[in-house]
Amino acid sequence: MTLLIGALIIGLILALLALGVLVSFRIFSMPDITTDGSITLGASIAAVLLVQGVNPVLATLAGALGGAAAGATTGILHTQFKINSLLSGILVMTALYSVNLHVMGRSNVPLMQATTLASFGEKLGEWLVGSKTIHILGWPVASADAAVLVLALGFTAAAGAAMFVFFRTQLGTAMRATGDNPQMIRALGSNVERNIILGLALSNGFVALSGALLAQYQGFADAQMGIGMVVWGLASVIIGEALTGTRSLGLTIVGTIMGSVLFRLLVAIALRWGLNPNDLKLITALFVFAALVLPGFIEKLKRRAPTAT
Amino acid sequence: MLTIRGIRKTFNPGTVNEVRALQGVDLTIEPGSFVIVLGMNGSGKSTLLNAVAGSFFVDEGTLTLAGHDVTKWPEHKRAKLIGRVFQNPFSGTAPTMSIAENFALASKRGHARGLGWALAPNLMKPLRDRIASLKMGLEDRLDNAIGSLSGGQRQALTLLMATWLKPELLLLDEHTAALDPKSADQVIQLSDEVIQRDKLTTLMVTHSMQQAVSLGDRIIMMNRGRVLHDIRGAEKKRLRPEDLIDRFEEVRRRELLDESAAAMLNELYI
Repeated sequence: MTLLIGALIIGLILALLALGVLVSFRIFSMPDITTDGSITLGASIAAVLLVQGVNPVLATLAGALGGAAAGATTGILHTQFKINSLLSGILVMTALYSVNLHVMGRSNVPLMQATTLASFGEKLGEWLVGSKTIHILGWPVASADAAVLVLALGFTAAAGAAMFVFFRTQLGTAMRATGDNPQMIRALGSNVERNIILGLALSNGFVALSGALLAQYQGFADAQMGIGMVVWGLASVIIGEALTGTRSLGLTIVGTIMGSVLFRLLVAIALRWGLNPNDLKLITALFVFAALVLPGFIEKLKRRAPTAT
Repeated sequence: MLTIRGIRKTFNPGTVNEVRALQGVDLTIEPGSFVIVLGMNGSGKSTLLNAVAGSFFVDEGTLTLAGHDVTKWPEHKRAKLIGRVFQNPFSGTAPTMSIAENFALASKRGHARGLGWALAPNLMKPLRDRIASLKMGLEDRLDNAIGSLSGGQRQALTLLMATWLKPELLLLDEHTAALDPKSADQVIQLSDEVIQRDKLTTLMVTHSMQQAVSLGDRIIMMNRGRVLHDIRGAEKKRLRPEDLIDRFEEVRRRELLDESAAAMLNELYI
């Protein structure tokens, strides 16, 4: 049960990462590897501030803003210096590795003693329930874990709703049109370059927010924690699209959150069954590869079928 | 309204792909006039439109539009003054977004876009009415992705979007060339209606002699990046398609002569 709740919480926290990837990859059609650096940046900024006793909400917000700045940098490299979008992301991600080490001062910052959003949630849960455990559907659950799960669910739902609302505003629709047809939105007087910079800032802001929360939940920030996270986000987005389709923006956002949770659950089950953790990134990459290639392949088979019979 | 002074543009200068697309164009377009731009492929007519729209900056010369010197304005800033319909029906609309959202974007052309709701309630009623007036049955499909419509429908909608806020200048770049004849007729009729009703200053590029003689009040014929003929007033009214074809023939003959002369010079001296 604890394992399940842990997987759900991490899935919900990483759903914010997946939403960030949704913005860069689906809305701007720009796979942005800055993600790998900005999730760590969000975690390190939040961790360092928390160790110094800063209010957890402010620390989390500062982490998210750091990620937004990193995303804006990628956007500026791409639009102002005309560097290929993928390469812009690679440059910023590489630079962020050093930045993160400088922010933390070492490669790992533990948060055992600090007051974090997670420790706050745990205390809140025990205080509300009044005992260490609570029974859900007959299962004993640590009330601290249950409270953190509810908080994570509320937080991610609110973030998803905020993203949905933003992309329905005048500015948000112009940003979606930028990914859809830049020529059209330029002819309608919107600054395409500025929209891309804003979009990547938004994307990486969500990613770093996810990193800041993840650090608080797992109790440490680590310089290596970002490796392969963009692929993780892509996997969640793709699973989400399979779950809810892409007919509307709202469905896509809900699907992405569900995709992240489901993916984390599958991974937890696989690890439980004895999957070597070292193979996790390889399997994630293979999964995304299959998800990108299979639809076209199946389409081809379908088209060939009538001639065969 | 629009004053073009001595604009020049060379693409890929100093390379084998050098193209002198505009070689000194001077043009003054009065408010409310509807100007047809004709010319053979490579004559610079689309380049002229793109220079006015700001797709690139000109090498020399100035562009003044509605009292502003727009020579150094980027494209998205000029869009405040200019409505535009492209040749490719896919260029003017955002395919995965709904009809209503596309118009919401158009309703903010040249204005700051804030955090207000894009599909503002006060936009929907006039939008439905205007789209119903097209008689294409699209008024009940405002939430459908615009990419699911035909080229003709998309081009008609792009025209409405470009003129939703009255532009100082309307640029139509062979906007019916990619359509089937029936849709092309519909879009041309709609264009003429909108232009007459709102008295829009218009520059329209076309390949169709029929459109050139039946529409507009002035014809600019371009050749090799320059304005070759400027036909207006009574002469424009009298013009028949055959007259235009004659003028094209004349250009062609001159071009051939140029080429054969160049070949002769080559043989003699090189």
